[in-house]
Amino acid sequence: MSEVNGDGMSEARAGETSEANSQWRKLDPRTLLAHCAWLGPPLGSLALTALATGGHLTTRAWITLGIIALVFTVITAAGFVIWRRTRFRVTTEALELRTGLLSRRFRSIPLHRIRNIDLTASPVQRVLGLVVLRIGTGGHQKRIALETLSRAEAERLRTELLARGGTPAADAVLATADPRWLRYAPLTFWVFGGVLTAGGGLWRALDGMGIKPWEIGPVRNSFAELGHRALWLTIPLALIAVLALGTLGAIALYIKDWWRYRLEWSDPATLRVSRGLLTTHSVSIERARLRGVAIDEPLLLRAGGGATVHAVAGGLGNQEENEKRSILMPPAPRAEALRIRAGVLGEEIDTDQLRPHPRVALRRRITRVLAWAVLPVTVVLTLLGALLTPVLLWCALGWLLLSVPLALTLARSAYRALGHELRGRWLVIRSGTLWRRTVALDRTAVVAWTFTDSPFSRRAGVCTTTAAVAVARCADGHHIRDMAAQDAAGFAESVTPGLLREFLV
Amino acid sequence: MTDTGLRLRPPRNKVDPRARRWWRTQALLLPGGPLLLTAAALLLLSVLFFPGALPWLVPLTLLLLVLPALVFILVMPRLRYRVHAWEVGESAVYTADGWFWQRRRIAPLSRVQTVDTVRGPLQRRYGLATVTVTTASTAGAVRIAGLSDEDARQMAERIAEAARLVREDAT
Repeated sequence: MSEVNGDGMSEARAGETSEANSQWRKLDPRTLLAHCAWLGPPLGSLALTALATGGHLTTRAWITLGIIALVFTVITAAGFVIWRRTRFRVTTEALELRTGLLSRRFRSIPLHRIRNIDLTASPVQRVLGLVVLRIGTGGHQKRIALETLSRAEAERLRTELLARGGTPAADAVLATADPRWLRYAPLTFWVFGGVLTAGGGLWRALDGMGIKPWEIGPVRNSFAELGHRALWLTIPLALIAVLALGTLGAIALYIKDWWRYRLEWSDPATLRVSRGLLTTHSVSIERARLRGVAIDEPLLLRAGGGATVHAVAGGLGNQEENEKRSILMPPAPRAEALRIRAGVLGEEIDTDQLRPHPRVALRRRITRVLAWAVLPVTVVLTLLGALLTPVLLWCALGWLLLSVPLALTLARSAYRALGHELRGRWLVIRSGTLWRRTVALDRTAVVAWTFTDSPFSRRAGVCTTTAAVAVARCADGHHIRDMAAQDAAGFAESVTPGLLREFLV
Repeated sequence: MTDTGLRLRPPRNKVDPRARRWWRTQALLLPGGPLLLTAAALLLLSVLFFPGALPWLVPLTLLLLVLPALVFILVMPRLRYRVHAWEVGESAVYTADGWFWQRRRIAPLSRVQTVDTVRGPLQRRYGLATVTVTTASTAGAVRIAGLSDEDARQMAERIAEAARLVREDAT
């Protein structure tokens, strides 16, 4: 209860809400309407089929319609029962929840256990003015969802549950969306991945409706003509088309995810991220649960001078959920990322000048990339070349000439990325070149240390030191890769003074 | 802070010597046994039906199947026994395990959440146990395998007792 009773105001609030709201409340009745949204796709595709066949429905279509009707009845009935039987109330100490038809279930979630509250709404729910309220209680158990409440009710419940109230100060807004950030959208995976995914989806949809794209006259003709006429023109054109489509898709996705983005301290103890065009997300992270901030710079984004920001925080659900909920900033300029980190952590941290790792780490990186990427392809090509055709030998040579410089560049970049340092309260770790991550961790959040080495790394005099933090996101901890073995224990001891002392010699 | 000259010493208590036999049995069951059986079957079939293949098949099976299996069965338990160790200090629990990749892990007693003792069917035959000490982080779980029953009981007791003494907020 200490957190709730932190100041007089919230105490008064808590008292007041318990008086006013101790009676049981229900979910919004429009929930039932929102449940019907699933009817859209099957009915739509059925209508399309009907249109395509000129209003003539086959037996199969009738059967489908029958099944839909049956499922509709069952789901609506179930939804009605759930709606009827779900009750909740907020008392001074807990949120109480009653659910279930046959086995009645009563759950009481102590208010001081509530770590964060998200409001999300799918497009259908938004049209109806509904939101899903999810409650995170820390630990790794499933989050509790109230599905669904009216927006006003949900906002009120959120303030009640967080029981702190107070209007945010004027300077509490850390960042809002900036249209200029859109230029970073194409620097994400979605440029190519998006086109492939969308293409696959379209193909499946057409296939599902019984349309075979390659049998449509114009498509087939254009393919045949282009293919025959100029292959050297077709391939670059196709690439450019994919690139253009992908860029458009990436921008659309960026807008969908980050529309009306806003990062703010909604009150001095709660960090809130709200965003989304169709589905709106609003994630609140309690300051006490915030263990640090990670700045991610994937290769492409880094080349464009961009970065994204994640919170390192507990109680955001399992690893996958955490990945989605912990994001604090979309791809945006690096300077902006640093500014946001300073705003979230409350101080600026220098993470550019870190303690470098021993030179031997570079050699290990070079060996690794040569042994695992360059060599296997070369060997396979050479073997096949010797057995089949000398052309492949030339391919092997070309591959070597092309891949070795690239591999060396990547290895060097990976080596330069390695670094660690203790900056006041913060343990800073940086590594990675394809996906560079610079994480600043609260040193008091470190719950365990692990030192890992293999015969190879022992000979090289390095080891990997892992700081375990009570956060589901990084299930295997934060690694300081290939640091000098002789410094490892001393560094860990300096981060968590006294923890290792008795085991040192 | 750079090169304080401080190195971690190994934990004080070794695991039970019987653990070597347990690891060897495990290695025989998987993957040693199947590997050796496969090698034997291959060679037998070759002798019976394709004697011509023997000159290249024998070195190949020796290199790819028999040698790795033997190395694993003979070397792994010895190396493991040399590495595995544990110690419950005043403020932290310290373990070492692994054989190829060796890990040393230290978790503060104040963060300990649970202490589990597990005895598998095979372990029970050798009178051994595995103790897992969990902290708030999944990456922070400390596990030590191959303790004698008595040591496991003692370790669990000492951790529980020490954790009570140093308890702060274990979340």
